[in-house]
Amino acid sequence: MFFGLVRNELQKTWRSRWIVFAVMAGIFVLIAGGLYIYYVASKSRWSPPAAIAWQTTVREDIANNQQQLDFLEQAKQNPGNGPKDFGPGPGPDLDNIIAQVQQQIDDDQYLLDHNIAPVQSFSITLAALFGLGGIVMFLLLRIFGWLASEQIAGERSDRTIAILLSRPMSRNQLLLAKAVASFLISLAVVVVTFLIIYAIWAFVQGSIGPLTGDVGVAVDGSKPLRGTNLFAMPIWLFVLMCLGGAMLGVLCVQGMSLVVSAVFGRWAAIGITMAFLFGAPLVSTVVGAILFAISQDPNRAHFLNYLFVNVLAPVSALTPVFGNGPAGPSGTGMSEFGFQVSVLAAWTVGFFIAAWLLFRRKQETG
Amino acid sequence: MTALVEVEGLSKRFGRVRAVNQISFSVAEGEVFGFLGPNGAGKTTTIRILLGLLHADGGAAKIGGHDCWTAHSRAARLFGATLEQPALYGFLSGRENLRLFARTLGPVDEKQITELLGTVGMSERANDKVKRYSMGMRQRLALAQAMLGRPRLLVLDEPTNGLDPNGIHGLRILLRKLATEEGLTIFFSSHLLSEVEELCDRVVVLHRGEVKAAGPLSELMNFRGYKYRIDVSDVDRAIEVVRSIDGAKVEPGTIKDSIMVTSDQNVARIINHALVAAGIGVDQLVHEQRGLEDVYIELTGVTAGSPLSAPAGAAPAPAPAGVGS
Repeated sequence: MFFGLVRNELQKTWRSRWIVFAVMAGIFVLIAGGLYIYYVASKSRWSPPAAIAWQTTVREDIANNQQQLDFLEQAKQNPGNGPKDFGPGPGPDLDNIIAQVQQQIDDDQYLLDHNIAPVQSFSITLAALFGLGGIVMFLLLRIFGWLASEQIAGERSDRTIAILLSRPMSRNQLLLAKAVASFLISLAVVVVTFLIIYAIWAFVQGSIGPLTGDVGVAVDGSKPLRGTNLFAMPIWLFVLMCLGGAMLGVLCVQGMSLVVSAVFGRWAAIGITMAFLFGAPLVSTVVGAILFAISQDPNRAHFLNYLFVNVLAPVSALTPVFGNGPAGPSGTGMSEFGFQVSVLAAWTVGFFIAAWLLFRRKQETG
Repeated sequence: MTALVEVEGLSKRFGRVRAVNQISFSVAEGEVFGFLGPNGAGKTTTIRILLGLLHADGGAAKIGGHDCWTAHSRAARLFGATLEQPALYGFLSGRENLRLFARTLGPVDEKQITELLGTVGMSERANDKVKRYSMGMRQRLALAQAMLGRPRLLVLDEPTNGLDPNGIHGLRILLRKLATEEGLTIFFSSHLLSEVEELCDRVVVLHRGEVKAAGPLSELMNFRGYKYRIDVSDVDRAIEVVRSIDGAKVEPGTIKDSIMVTSDQNVARIINHALVAAGIGVDQLVHEQRGLEDVYIELTGVTAGSPLSAPAGAAPAPAPAGVGS
């Protein structure tokens, strides 16, 4: 019977909210079409470019960085003739930039020497970084939050909750069926989104890239890539890890939405959920900016990451793994990803327990 | 007959408002049971407790011996319900709605769904979306939904809402058929007293959260005693004879060749026998039964028109002895 309940929830969501999925599909088509037109116009070609091996890209990076380093050294030794962009002459800023560029060269060389592809080398890993984190997940999470907030609240507003709860099933079964259905729908949307972004990257890169082999991810993105600060993992595992992180964020949002949904009617639940999902990150960004302005310490606001709204897309912590010199910001890399996943897991469990406690004894007065 | 629904000392408060206060009644298997009361009497609260939507503060509500809150799943296997406003998914068709609710009971029985659609006269519109249905059509589909899984008890909260006279008539026939042919127990809450009067075997009258009267309809309508109109050949002698019968009382205001007699007991046969024995011709002896509406007004102090609402300060009559619980 439980699968029947899940099927009911899937049917209800699809039949009542198919327009949302149609609009999302339309947006994807428009974005992909726009990107393709831009590509055709800028490159004057219809077909994808030739694929480039990751080693070639890294060597080109080293050559470019070396060129920049020579330029910076020259500027440092001739303060009066130095480029104005880097200030009036040698000083802490220029030294810092030189150190960062040198670090990038060393990091790239280390990867070449050990034959470890950086995480952004392949279409599928790029798709994982971009499609399962950042702005894409930010927007998807708000849509999933909206849909989940209607799960119980919508039934309450339509009065169908009374008939459902009068049926021979426990409230636990109904809540679980709703949670499972929400999760399955969002999983399908996330996977389709990922595949579309993968297809776009594959076109841009000129290759779908390898699906086997390893990629390297920094453990702490703000520190040099050496020994224990580099974590090599299979490509497929990296993609699955990103998918898992993204779906944990989805689950957390759905848990929060179900808590609201268990108590309120449709419009109140949607309003509260949306206000929280959009408002809380805004408030914490302002708070973080104020703390940084006062302390000049980028780590000062890290405690805000204990709030679930700031870690809903933990894959974002993996994005800027490379190219951060010694003075790069903290809060990136595998360790930060692990921290954010742990915080999310704790919030998710808490939300589902709260939703369960509220819903199982909720008095449906009509 | 065994009781299918048992309500014992049931109480429920909403903040400072006492919605239901220590009410008790039972519904026997196979019975058509009427649940009456003005708005705010506690009918819907009681029904929601029976359906497992509300948790009672005190007392017990059981269906088939299963507690409606703690053993809800087992109790709910025995009943199907419709609520005051038919709760259906407007974006699905009638058939899809029934399939969806059938899945809450187990595997979908397509044959039963087709049968039920036919029973409630919705076969032709079964594949239309419910949002295009009239209120009456929704009520009929809600009734089909309640009958899914062949329950032993139908809990119907204002099922005649939105039905036209033909629809009400059809519903009455259907419910009678379900009760007599299939032995279904029907818990019928309605403000249409005429429907309750025609349909129900037994009723409970609820007012301000308390049971004002409960019992068979015939007893309830005579709780103030029996009243007879007797057409006789000799009024004066008939009055004398009737006055000699224990418990019989001649009412003032005799009209033409008739006398009005009241009694706490059913004394129709005794009166008839005494009059005939005294050589008085009895043309007609009519039991002047009062309507449920009269009883209802007397019990609740509420005008039984539409809408049913309790006027401030209305003082209902005391619970009838021997009938009230």
